[in-house]
Amino acid sequence: MTTRILATLVFLAVLAAAPAFVPPFEVRVLSLFCFWGALSLAWNILGGFAGYWSFGHTVFVGVGAFVPGVIVAKLFDGGGAELMPLLVLVGGLVSAAFAGIIAWPLLRLRGIYFAIAMLGVAQVTGELSAAIEWIGGGVGLSLPDAVPAALAPEAFFHYIFVGLLALTIGAAAWVRGARFGQGLLAIREDEDTARMLAVPTEGYKIAALVLSAFLTGLLGATYGFSLGYITTDSVFRTDFSLNMIVHALLGGIGTIAGPLLGAAVMVVLTQVVLGEMLNLHLFATGALVVAMVLLAPQGFLGLWRRKPRAQREPGP
Amino acid sequence: MTEPVLEIRGLTKRFRGLVALDHVDFTVPEGTICGLIGPNGAGKSTMFNLVTGFLPPSEGEIRFRGTPVTGWSPQQAGRSGVARAFQIARPFPGLTVRQNVRIGALFGRSGPRDVEAATDTALALLGIEDLADRPAEGLTVGHLRRLEVARALAARPVLLLADEPCAGLNPAETDAMIAALRRIRDGGVTIWLVEHDMRAVMGLCDRILVISAGRAIAEGTPGEVAANPAVIAAYLGSEEQEAHGA
Repeated sequence: MTTRILATLVFLAVLAAAPAFVPPFEVRVLSLFCFWGALSLAWNILGGFAGYWSFGHTVFVGVGAFVPGVIVAKLFDGGGAELMPLLVLVGGLVSAAFAGIIAWPLLRLRGIYFAIAMLGVAQVTGELSAAIEWIGGGVGLSLPDAVPAALAPEAFFHYIFVGLLALTIGAAAWVRGARFGQGLLAIREDEDTARMLAVPTEGYKIAALVLSAFLTGLLGATYGFSLGYITTDSVFRTDFSLNMIVHALLGGIGTIAGPLLGAAVMVVLTQVVLGEMLNLHLFATGALVVAMVLLAPQGFLGLWRRKPRAQREPGP
Repeated sequence: MTEPVLEIRGLTKRFRGLVALDHVDFTVPEGTICGLIGPNGAGKSTMFNLVTGFLPPSEGEIRFRGTPVTGWSPQQAGRSGVARAFQIARPFPGLTVRQNVRIGALFGRSGPRDVEAATDTALALLGIEDLADRPAEGLTVGHLRRLEVARALAARPVLLLADEPCAGLNPAETDAMIAALRRIRDGGVTIWLVEHDMRAVMGLCDRILVISAGRAIAEGTPGEVAANPAVIAAYLGSEEQEAHGA
């Protein structure tokens, strides 16, 4: 256990040190890995541990990014750069609160019904952010430039994304080891039996969604600041929702290393190997997903571990 | 005599027109093993679903350790000390045997206290400690049944509802299950058992309730029940006539 923690810390330290050694483009690729990996890991707290697949997790990215955007536009008239840490935190908290509100009706749905309901929530919320003039998602919102003069922008955001990745790994590892996490696994495996064993299923599902939304909201807010200018289309992105699922599936759903591994593979594939062939990379992504579902339903980690398990329905 | 663990008075469950249970009374005294038998479709599983809060009764009262608990939730039942081993074993398939039993110990009646000890005790009592690190998926029926009971036991129940723990077991496995249930009872857990294996029922039970088509048709010691003409009629297949009032 301690070796695992040590290895994680070394991994994060190496990631954090990257801007000192590698050129800006590679730093951006590594930041993207941190962003995608953390998103997928946050999704995995609900989707992987509790088995409640959200098809609309991008709603929390969007809410996380829009909350600072609206606050900056309404209260600071485009300024407030020095308040970025606070604004990111508020983005995460509002995301979590939003999750808490939708959790009660949505988490009564099981399996594919919950997945589709989340997709609907994401679509509707995205549409509203564009349609409500006061919010201004159609035209777009500016976020202030918070990069200190001493740092390159890509390095500044890289440090934050590494920090958020560390936070997300910590949160996921804590959940996995805690009684809470064991309760989530019980819910995933058989919710009625979990109820019979006195697992507080309703409370645990809500807590998992809220925690997942909080982390996703922090990531979304930071992503918004890194873009500098956000619109509905740039943060309420269906491909974000899909990528969170795909990364977890590729690497190994319900694990901690899995979503990170999946994100790493996809980042390398799309940004490095196929970076010059934008048209091809969606095709390659699709082909890879199909191949993985057919050949390794437990993800890369499943291949490596080779657990003697019968094939199970890989989803809700 | 100490207070009964479970008292059922006038318990009735209707599903639209169908009466699954019709004003059934029964008492499960503390420290006993009681039986619930009857032909298929008699309402045995419905009874367990009502007691464990999976279904609300249409009428009647359930008291657990003297407290009225009619209409409680499965979680309340679990926290109060009612554990259930399902008829179709429902282990958590993606987890190992130990993880399964450990979840029972983490939740259940008294929450996370001595989790590892409770897990080990339950595994050992059912004789599946050697399988602890095997995935639950792919276990034999015999092992699944034992896992099901071990997980329920790890929750430190006051009352264990065992729904056909011997179904699908070979004679040796049945003997092992009977011995395990006796040890569980000797450890202070009251047991109410649905079972078709008559050897298990007659050998284990202190008292038996016989239901047929939702109604209690007999109650008593194994000897009394076995000699009861209504029970014999129900088991020899004349329950259809009876259901039609013949």
